[in-house]
Amino acid sequence: MAKMIDGLLQGFRLHRLNRLRDQKSFLENYLPILVKAIRDREERRIKLARDRDGAALRGPALAAGVLTPALETERSTALANIEERYRWRAKALAQSKKRALSKSSEDMVVATFAVRTEQLEHQKQVDLESVGRRYAASQGDLAAAREAFRIQAEEVHAATDARLAAAKAKADKIIAAKTAAYETKTDELGRKIEKVRNLLIANKSDETNALIPEDSLLSVRNLSMRFGGLMAVDNLSFDVKKGEIFGLIGPNGAGKTTIFNCITRFYRPTSGEMLYRKNAVEVIRLNDYPVHDIIRQGIVRTFQNVELVWELTILDNLLVAAHTVYRTGFFGQLFHTPKLRREEEVMRAKAFGVLGTLGLLPYAYAIPYGLPYGILKKIELARTLMAHPKLIILDEPAAGLNDKETEELAVLIKKIRDDYHATIFLVEHDMGLVMDVCDTICAISFGKKLAIGTPAEIQSDKLVRSAYLGEES
Amino acid sequence: MTTLRLSFDRIRKQLAIIAKHPYFGFVVFGAILVVLRLLALGGIIPNSLMKSLVITMIYAIVALGFSLLLGYAGLASLGTAGFVGLGTYFIGHFSGTLGYPFLATILISLLGAIVLGAIVGFISLRIEGMYLAIITLGLSEIMREIFKSFTAFTNGVNGLGFRDFTLFELEVSEAAVDFIVIFVFILLIIGTLNIIKSPTGRALLAMKNSDSAAQSMGIGLMKYRLLAFTLATIYAVIGGLLYMMDQQFSIPTTWSLDFSLNILAAVVVGGAQSITGIILGTFTIFGLNMTVLKEIAFFREYPDATWIVSGMLIILITMFYPGGLIRLLLAIKFWLIKIWKKLKRKWSVYRYGEDD
Repeated sequence: MAKMIDGLLQGFRLHRLNRLRDQKSFLENYLPILVKAIRDREERRIKLARDRDGAALRGPALAAGVLTPALETERSTALANIEERYRWRAKALAQSKKRALSKSSEDMVVATFAVRTEQLEHQKQVDLESVGRRYAASQGDLAAAREAFRIQAEEVHAATDARLAAAKAKADKIIAAKTAAYETKTDELGRKIEKVRNLLIANKSDETNALIPEDSLLSVRNLSMRFGGLMAVDNLSFDVKKGEIFGLIGPNGAGKTTIFNCITRFYRPTSGEMLYRKNAVEVIRLNDYPVHDIIRQGIVRTFQNVELVWELTILDNLLVAAHTVYRTGFFGQLFHTPKLRREEEVMRAKAFGVLGTLGLLPYAYAIPYGLPYGILKKIELARTLMAHPKLIILDEPAAGLNDKETEELAVLIKKIRDDYHATIFLVEHDMGLVMDVCDTICAISFGKKLAIGTPAEIQSDKLVRSAYLGEES
Repeated sequence: MTTLRLSFDRIRKQLAIIAKHPYFGFVVFGAILVVLRLLALGGIIPNSLMKSLVITMIYAIVALGFSLLLGYAGLASLGTAGFVGLGTYFIGHFSGTLGYPFLATILISLLGAIVLGAIVGFISLRIEGMYLAIITLGLSEIMREIFKSFTAFTNGVNGLGFRDFTLFELEVSEAAVDFIVIFVFILLIIGTLNIIKSPTGRALLAMKNSDSAAQSMGIGLMKYRLLAFTLATIYAVIGGLLYMMDQQFSIPTTWSLDFSLNILAAVVVGGAQSITGIILGTFTIFGLNMTVLKEIAFFREYPDATWIVSGMLIILITMFYPGGLIRLLLAIKFWLIKIWKKLKRKWSVYRYGEDD
């Protein structure tokens, strides 16, 4: 009885811990977005106020013959416009001259067009002069006008500066208040998390935890999978350690993808169990979870043949992968509540971060249809990073890539392991990639384990050599 | 003067931002419909035209629900007619015969829709594609038989009338019903837009593309298939309620396979994933013969010949624009832009000569 209550309490604490962590990460991610929005609004307001000032001072400045920066840009645009206009007119004139030449005698045409070109030049000069006059000092009492302009400009600028300073102070205050509020909230959440975590660890039952070694993340025990008469996986056991890159190799038909499908629950294994260290205090049996709950435990997989949503942009594809991270319910989505909008913004920022890491930013708004295969493979990889992965399962990530892309992939896989603190478990045929990136390799043949060890050990293993090269041992 | 220009600039920029909002087009569409209805009230446009537009809108609501099912979740159903029929009988029986308050009727209808949708959703977990279509067709036919025989509820083959509709103890006139239909139509369009632009819509699309990928990303098939069917059923039942308010009469023969097929055709012809496309498709299948073709003398003489036109349209569109009318519309738009650019270029060469 006491044990059951303990179990229930632990479950409740875990649930609470997850919720608190979600809230904390949301707050941490949303604050920069909020601050940026406030700053952007402020910048827009400043630009608007300056424009308005320029407009208010335009009359007095013209009267005083002072070229304020606003007037200067106005004048130069007017001049540039005239230049442009007359350039086109000259072109049109040349063209009509060409047409006329083909019709009537040369002398006449040349004479007429000489006159017309002159007229055009003259008109242009007149226009330019009129612009010059418009912005030149007017007649009359210049000194007085200048003085009046100076005073008025000072007044207007002082007023605007005061207003802008007030607005900036207000924005700063809002930002400071928000930051402080968010920080106290995050701190509080952090304390709560620490407390719940400590409680969890203090009460952790050694019974489940002792099931697998402290440093391993996934332990496959005596896994067998039989399809009718075919034994695809035969009594296989191995451990994946936390933070390593684990490779599974074997000839075609050795049962590698079957193992993946068993771990991600697409297949029900005939016998055997998969134990997974979900967090510091909990070891779970993956056999008890349905397919769509596997990602919630932190296990994400890719597919051998790319399986994207072809109607959505790359960005939206990444958001699909973040499906389990959303906390807004159906009615929130139906009414597009502010909560959903904030969440979407946070997810978008995160998706852009992931796209940036993988160098996919130019494709963010593209439809995957028609993109090169290497890019599609990378998008699959990007998708795994959206939902707080702890174990990333890659099914032949290098299939169909050329040598250069494979080299890039090797760097990327290591980078993902380091940046996202994830363990990577991959199946691959490309021996170069496997030997390059993997810390531990497990070689299988016809569902049976041949050897497990470091790349060097595997390379020198007799059984592996005979399975791959057919050498007699 | 310059200040004025600046403020105009500001207003224009604001308007441009508003016009970019996804709801904008549909709200304007609703406003146009309201204006049309007002014009019909004033006798400027014929009342019959308005009548056919309103019934088209009701069918478009049903088609919207169906598009969530077919275009997003990728599930085929031929049971739409039964659900719409059920909606008509819900309001006809509870509000009309029994005289329940309107809100109670709506509640009962929504509950009924959710239960029915969930049942069909469960069936869809086991059966897919063509077989699912056949099973839903069977379900619809069973419902039609029930409509025929369960006379206490439906008044059987004689049809159920629904007159003197009151809402909060106020008599609702025909014009008011039309305004209600327009309001609900625009509201449901916005609701659909919200759903398809949210995680749920993306999850439905992911499920349509690949079951296994969707599941590996945490999208439970059961939840989302049930959701898709429930939503489609709710839209169909709402369509039924509005149909009864508008037509004031419902008879089992209306809710046959023809109706389901027409809704399917409307969604496929319009473009299963675009709301504009669905409105266009519904208008093509239902509205066209009621509004345009009826004015032509030939079709007045042979009214059934309008089906030939619809059939030919379906064949042509599915042959040349499998993405639906919306693709055709986009193609025309791009074509016009291309022509415009070409003309501009020609004029420029004529006037100014070739580029340097």
